[in-house]
Amino acid sequence: MSLRFPSFSSIRDSSLFVLTLAGVGWLVLRGGEQLGYNWHWRQIPRYLFTYTDGQFIPGPLLQGLMVTLEITAVSLVFAACIGLVTALLRLSNSTVGRWLARVYLEVIRNTPLLVQIFFLYFVMAPIFDIGRTATAILALSLFEGAYASEIFRAGIQSIHRGQWEASHSLGLSRYQAYRWIILPQAVRRILPPLTSQAVSLIKDSALVSTIAVYDLTMAGRVIIAETFLTFELWFTVAAIYLLLTLTLSALANALERRFPRIT
Amino acid sequence: MEKNIHAATDQDEPIIIAEHLVKIFPGSVPALNDFSVQVKRGEVLVVVGPSGSGKSTFLRCLNGLEMIDSGRIVIDSIPLDANEKNRLAIRREVGMVFQSFNLFPHLSVLENVNLAQCLVRSKSKKEATRATEELLAKVGLSDKIGGYPDELSGGQQQRVAIARALALRPKVMLFDEATSALDPEMIGEVLDVMRTLAEEGMTMVVVTHEMGFAREVSDRVVFMEAGRIVEAAATRQFFLHPAQERTRDFLRQIL
Ligand SMILES: Nc1ncnc2c1ncn2[C@@H]1O[C@H](COP(=O)(O)OP(=O)(O)OP(=O)(O)O)[C@@H](O)[C@H]1O
Ligand SMILES: [Mg+2]
Repeated sequence: MSLRFPSFSSIRDSSLFVLTLAGVGWLVLRGGEQLGYNWHWRQIPRYLFTYTDGQFIPGPLLQGLMVTLEITAVSLVFAACIGLVTALLRLSNSTVGRWLARVYLEVIRNTPLLVQIFFLYFVMAPIFDIGRTATAILALSLFEGAYASEIFRAGIQSIHRGQWEASHSLGLSRYQAYRWIILPQAVRRILPPLTSQAVSLIKDSALVSTIAVYDLTMAGRVIIAETFLTFELWFTVAAIYLLLTLTLSALANALERRFPRIT
Repeated sequence: MEKNIHAATDQDEPIIIAEHLVKIFPGSVPALNDFSVQVKRGEVLVVVGPSGSGKSTFLRCLNGLEMIDSGRIVIDSIPLDANEKNRLAIRREVGMVFQSFNLFPHLSVLENVNLAQCLVRSKSKKEATRATEELLAKVGLSDKIGGYPDELSGGQQQRVAIARALALRPKVMLFDEATSALDPEMIGEVLDVMRTLAEEGMTMVVVTHEMGFAREVSDRVVFMEAGRIVEAAATRQFFLHPAQERTRDFLRQIL
C-alpha cells in the first residue's frame, strides 16, 4: 500500500520519535553540565577530515571507518560463503559433512566472539603467521558465518518440497536444482534476515579493536587517550556506526524491492 | 529414427515393468505391498483407488522420487536402481505432472519450459525456445509465453506444467491427479490436452478421479487399495463387468 501523504499515525510516530531523541539529548547535555563537563564539539571535525588548500585529508576517524568498512565488507563475503557451504553440508546426505557442520556451529555459537578473536590472535595467528587484519577478518567471518548458515538453511528449507520434486522429475541434478530453482527463490527470503546479520557484523567488528586493528572504534579510543574528549568522540563514533547500519538497511530494502516476485 | 530402432527390436516389450514393489514409510502400513503392473508402449493406464491406497506413491516410485524398499522397476529397458546415472536417465524419459502444478514461480512461462531442455538436453536457448513455442501452441497458451506463473489461472498453470514435462520429449508421462486442484470450469481444458496426448500415442499412467476421462481415454484401469491391486482390467470390462465385489462398491460410490 503506498500513500501519497504520510498518514496521521506516521506523523505522530515521527514526532514522538524526534521528541524522545531531543529529550534524551537534553538529559545527556544536562548530565554533562552537572558533571562539570566542558563540551568541545568544535574540535571534533578535524578528527574526521581536514580541508586545507583545496585538499581533502581524511582524519583518523575516517581512516578508522575505512578499515571498519574494509573488514566488514570482506568478512561479509566470506561469512556468506561459509554460511552457504555449511548450510548445504547440513542439508546434504553426507554424514561426515553434516557432522563437521554441526561441530563448527556448536563451537562458534557457544563461545564468546571476544574469546574467539583472542584465540585466533594469540594462538592460531603466531602458528600460521597470519597478520592482524587477516585474523580479524577470519574471526568475524567464522563467527558470522555460523549465524548466516542458519539463515541459509532456514531459507532453503522454506522452499516448498514440490519445487524439488518438479526439478528432479525434469532430470535436474541436485546441483542444478540448487543453482537454478532452490537458491534463486531462497535468496529472496534470506535477504532480510541476512541484512540484520550484516548489521550485527558491523557492530561486532568493533571488537577487533581489542587486537589493535585500527578500526573506527580503535581510532576513537586513541584520540580520546590523547585529547580526553570522551563524550564527544563516543557520540561521534556511535553516530557513524548508526549511519553505516541505517544505510545498509536502506540498501537492502531497495534491493529487496527489485525482487517483486516473492512467494 | 530412434523410435524405429525400438520398433524393430522391442515393440512388444512393456515400456514400464514394475514387479513386486514394496514401499513402507517408517511407522506406517505399507504404501505399496507387492504391487506389480506392466504398461505397453502407447498404452494409457488409469490408476484409481481410495485415498491413501498408494496411487501417488506408485507414480513417485516410477520416476525415483521415492525409493522402493524391494521389487524391480524397469523403464524403457533402463533399470531404476541405486545407480544415480540410471535414475537421471529414467527421469529424462519420464515426465511427471503434479496435482499442485509446481511451476517455478521465479521463472517466466518461457523459462519454465526452456530450463530443462537447456540443462538436461543441452539445447541452445534458441532451439529450446522454438520447441517451447510449439509446445505452448499445443496446449493453447502461446499468448502467455512471457507471463509468470502467478499471473495464470490454475488450468493455465497446469497446461504449462504439461508443456514443461513434454519439453524433454519423454517416452512416458505420469499424471498425479492433475485436475484435482482445479476449479471445475478449468478441468476440461487440462483433460483436453491429456486426451490429445493419448491420441498421439503417448504412454501414460494417470491417477485421476475423473471417471469420464478414464472410461473414454484409457486402455486399462487398475483399482488399488492398501498398496495392492484389487482389480486390473481393460477399461470397458472394468466399468461394465467388474469382477470384484470391492470394485463394484468403489464404482458405485464414485460414479
Ligand atoms: N512421505 C510420506 N511419509 C510417510 N507416509 C507417507 C508419505 N507419503 C505417503 N505416505 C503414506 O503412504 C500411504 C499411501 O499414500 P499415497 O499418497 O500414495 O496415497 P494416494 O493413493 O495417492 O492417496 P490420495 O488419493 O489421497 O492422493 C498413505 O498411508 C500415506 O499416509
Ligand atoms: Mg495421491
